[in-house]
Amino acid sequence: MSKAKIVIFRNVCPRNCYNTCSLLSYVQEGKLLKVAGDPQNGYTQGKLCAKGYASTEFVYSPERLRFPLRQYPRGSGKWQRISWEEALTEIAEKILELNQLYGSNLAIAYNKCSGNIGLLHYAVEGMFNSLGAHTKPRGNPCLAAGQDAFIYDFGKALNPDPEKMADSKLIILWGVNPAYTAIQQIKFINKARQKGAKMVVIDPIFTVTAAKADLYIQIRPGTDGLLALLLAKILVEEGNYDQSFVLKHTWGFEPFLNYLRSNNLQDFLSQVSHVTGVRPEAIWELASLLADSKPCSLWVGFGLQRNTNGGQNIRAINALMALTGNICLPGGGAYYLNSNLDYFPQNLLNHQGPGGSHKQSRQVDLNNFASDLLNLKDPPVRLLWIANRNPLSQDQNLNKWRSLLSKLDLIVTVDLYMTKTAAMSDLVLPAASHFEEDDLNLSYWHHWLTLNQKALPPFFEAKSDLQIARELTAKLNKLSPGFSNFPFELTAEDWLAKEFTPQVLKLYGLQNWEELKDGPRKLLQADPPWAGRTFLTPSGKFEFYSAHAKKNNLPAIAKFKWPQTSSYPLRLLSPQYLLSIHSQSGWLSWFEHDNLGIVKMHPADAAKRGLLDGNQVKIFNAYGSIVRKIQITASVPPGVVVAYQGGEDPLNTLIVNAFTDMGANQNGTNNIAFYDVYVECAKGR
Amino acid sequence: MLMLKQLGFLFNADLCIGCRSCEAACINENKTPAGVRWRRVTPTSENSFLSISCNHCDSPECFRICPQKAFSKQRDGIVMIDNGLCDGCMKCLPVCPFEAPQFDLRQRKASKCIFCHERLKQNLLPACIEACPTEALQMIDLNKEIPEGSVRTIPGFPDILLTKPSIRFYPSQAGKRYFIQD
Ligand code: SF4
Ligand code: SF4
Ligand code: SF4
Repeated sequence: MSKAKIVIFRNVCPRNCYNTCSLLSYVQEGKLLKVAGDPQNGYTQGKLCAKGYASTEFVYSPERLRFPLRQYPRGSGKWQRISWEEALTEIAEKILELNQLYGSNLAIAYNKCSGNIGLLHYAVEGMFNSLGAHTKPRGNPCLAAGQDAFIYDFGKALNPDPEKMADSKLIILWGVNPAYTAIQQIKFINKARQKGAKMVVIDPIFTVTAAKADLYIQIRPGTDGLLALLLAKILVEEGNYDQSFVLKHTWGFEPFLNYLRSNNLQDFLSQVSHVTGVRPEAIWELASLLADSKPCSLWVGFGLQRNTNGGQNIRAINALMALTGNICLPGGGAYYLNSNLDYFPQNLLNHQGPGGSHKQSRQVDLNNFASDLLNLKDPPVRLLWIANRNPLSQDQNLNKWRSLLSKLDLIVTVDLYMTKTAAMSDLVLPAASHFEEDDLNLSYWHHWLTLNQKALPPFFEAKSDLQIARELTAKLNKLSPGFSNFPFELTAEDWLAKEFTPQVLKLYGLQNWEELKDGPRKLLQADPPWAGRTFLTPSGKFEFYSAHAKKNNLPAIAKFKWPQTSSYPLRLLSPQYLLSIHSQSGWLSWFEHDNLGIVKMHPADAAKRGLLDGNQVKIFNAYGSIVRKIQITASVPPGVVVAYQGGEDPLNTLIVNAFTDMGANQNGTNNIAFYDVYVECAKGR
Repeated sequence: MLMLKQLGFLFNADLCIGCRSCEAACINENKTPAGVRWRRVTPTSENSFLSISCNHCDSPECFRICPQKAFSKQRDGIVMIDNGLCDGCMKCLPVCPFEAPQFDLRQRKASKCIFCHERLKQNLLPACIEACPTEALQMIDLNKEIPEGSVRTIPGFPDILLTKPSIRFYPSQAGKRYFIQD
C-alpha cells in the first residue's frame, strides 16, 4: 500500500435529484479512492444513494470519454481522436463563417438541460449570451406545470423545510416515490411515524414507498385532481375544514364552493370512484384522516403534473391543503420544490452579451425544440451545441430530432459518456466530472448549500463547461478580436465568489464564501414559508380563484380537466428508477440495469393479449415502437404499463407533441406531458 | 472458544427500502472486483427486501469445511478469511447457506464480508451500516443483548439451523391497501 497522504475534499452530487447529497472524496495522489457522505450536511447526514457510492466507477469507467473526438460521416461510428486545439478551431471557424454569412449569430443554437445542476454549468448560457443574438431554448421539460400551479395559488413554489416533515401527524405522498428518488427524506418521514404519524401513499403504481405506507390508495393516472376535489367536498359538507383560515387568508372561496356544490355528494362520489378507480371506503378513510390529523404534510411528485391536465390537478390538491389550513401550519404544508436558487445572482446565466444584445436572440421552445428549429428561416440554424443533455433519449419528438440533425452543418456535444446524442454528433468533447471542477450546488428540495471542490485532476483531457467556454472564447477572440464578451480571464473561483452577494452571505450565515470549505450550510430562514399568512399572489391570500390563471387562458378555479383520450388502450408511465436518473448512470457496471429492458403490465392486460411473463413485446403507437421484456405484476393498475427511461431503445420514441396545461407563466413554455402517452403491446419485436 | 462478543447484524425489513446503498457502500469501501458482492440486496417479494452478507455464524460451515483452514473465528465473533491461505478449491461456496463466500475468478480465491474490522478498530461502523439511510441495518452484539421483539428469521432468509447466523430481524408489516379492481 502506498503511503502517500490521503486528502479529503468536499464535493456534492450534481444530479437532477431531490437529495443533492454532500459528499467527501478521499483522494490519494490525484486518484479518487472512495467517497463518503458528508455528515455535516444535516439533511443528507453522511449517507448517499447507491449511485453516489458508485462514484469511483462513474469517474473511472472504461466507458468514459477521454479525448475530443470527430466522427465522419455523422452517425457512422467512425471516430477519430483530435486535439482540443483542432476541435476548438473547427468550432470557432464555423461560428465565424456563419456570422459572416448571415451578419449575426442566429444560425447558432444550443440545447442544455439538467445533466449537471451546479451553478457554474450556466457557463453554457453565459458563453452563448456573450456572442450577442443567437438562438436559445427556453422552458423546463419536467416540472413547470406544477410550478405554475403553485404560483397561481400561493404566488410562488416554496417548500417548507423538508426536515420539518418529521413533525407532521399525517404525511401524504401523492405521486412521489422517495424510496427510489429521495431516499434521504425517508428518515424524516420515519421520525414522524415513530411519533405516531400516519403515512398515506396515493400512486397509480404500488411502489416501494407504497408498500411501506399505513394506507396505500391506487389511482388511475391523471385523475388526481378529481379525488382531491371530492375530498374537499366531503370536508366542506361535513364542516371539517378550517373556516376561519379560509375566511381570513384565502381568496375566491365562494366560486370554488359553488363549483364543489354543483354536484350532489352521492353522485359525485360514485362518479369519482368510477373515474379514479378508488373505492368509496378508501375515500372516506382518507377524508377522515384529513379531518382529524394536523399538521398534515402533503408532497406532490413531479410525475403527477407530467400530464395534459397536470397543473390543474395540482391546483386541486393545493385547494384541499388550503381548505384544511395545513399550508400555514408548522410541521405541515404543501411540498413541491423550493426556489432557493432565486436568492443567487446566477451571474453566468444572466451574463449580458455585447450591449445586452443577446436579448435579441431567437427563443425556441425547449420542449418543442427540434420542430421549432426546423421551422426557423432567415437564417436557419446550422450549428447546434448540446451540453448537459441527451435529447435523443430524453426529449420528445425524436423523429423531428433525427431530421433536424440531418440538416445541420455542425453538431457539437459535450458529455462524459457516448450517449445516444453524442453518437449522432460531429464533434464530441469530453466533460469533466464534478470531482474535476469547482462548483456550487443547492437543492431544489432541501435547504443546504454545498461547495464542490476540484478534487481530482481532469480525467485524461476532460474539461468543465466553464473551462470550455473560456477556451472557446479565447479562440474566437483570437481569430476575430472582440467577437465575444465572455470574461474568459475569470476563473471558477472568481465566478463562485461573485455568487455570494451580501444578501446570500446573510441568508446562509456566512462571513465569506470560503467558509463553505469547512462544510455545507443551511439557509437560516427555514421557517414554514407561509407562516406569516401573507402570500405572494395578487390578493396576498391563497387563491382558490386566480385571476392570474384566467388571464393566461386557464380556468380561474381548480376545475377538473378531463385527461385526453386515445385509441391506444394502455397508458405508458415512465417514472425514475432507483439506479439511474433519466438516462444517466446506465453505465455503472456495479449494477445490473435490468430496468432498461422491461415493461411492467397488469396480469389482466397480459392475459387479454396472450402475453406471458418474460415475453418479448413490441410497445407501439402511431409514432413508433420500442422493444421490452414483459414483467407481469399487479403493482401496476389495469390499463397502465410502466417502463423506464434511458438505454439503447429509449421510450421517448413514443412521445410526440405531448404538452402539459401549464408552465408557460414562469418558464416561458409548457412542459412535456411525458405521462400522457398511450400505447399498445404485442408479442414479438 | 470463549467469545467476548458476538458481533452481528440487526435487519429491520420494515424499514428497508431496497435502496442498495449498503451494497454500493461495501464495494466503495472494500474495492471488491466486479462480480464479487460481499453484501447483496435481494427482493423477497415485490417491494420487500433482504440485505445479506456473511452472518459471522455461531457454527460457521465455511470454517468446518475449508481444507486450508483459511477461515477463523475471532473473539469478537467475526469470521475472518485469510486470503493467503485460500487455494481456490471452492468448497466453502456451496456449504454456506447465505452465498457469503464469493469467488473472484481472476484471483481464483474466495473472499467475503469481514465486518469491516479495520473500520471497527477506528471506532467506525461497517460501511454498509454507516450507509443505510433508514437505519434498517444495524450492528449488534448478540452476546450482550437480543433486541427486544426481534426474531431469528423472516420469510425468504435461508436456513438458519445449520450455521446459526449472527443476525436478528424485525419483520415487515403491511399497511392497508386499496388496489383498483378491474
Ligand atoms: S444521486 Fe441523489 S441520492 Fe445519490 S448521491 Fe447523488 S444526490 Fe445523493
Ligand atoms: S455466513 Fe457463510 S461464510 Fe459467513 S460465517 Fe456463516 S457459513 Fe461462514
Ligand atoms: S441501505 Fe438500508 S434500506 Fe437500503 S437496501 Fe441496504 S439495508 Fe435496505
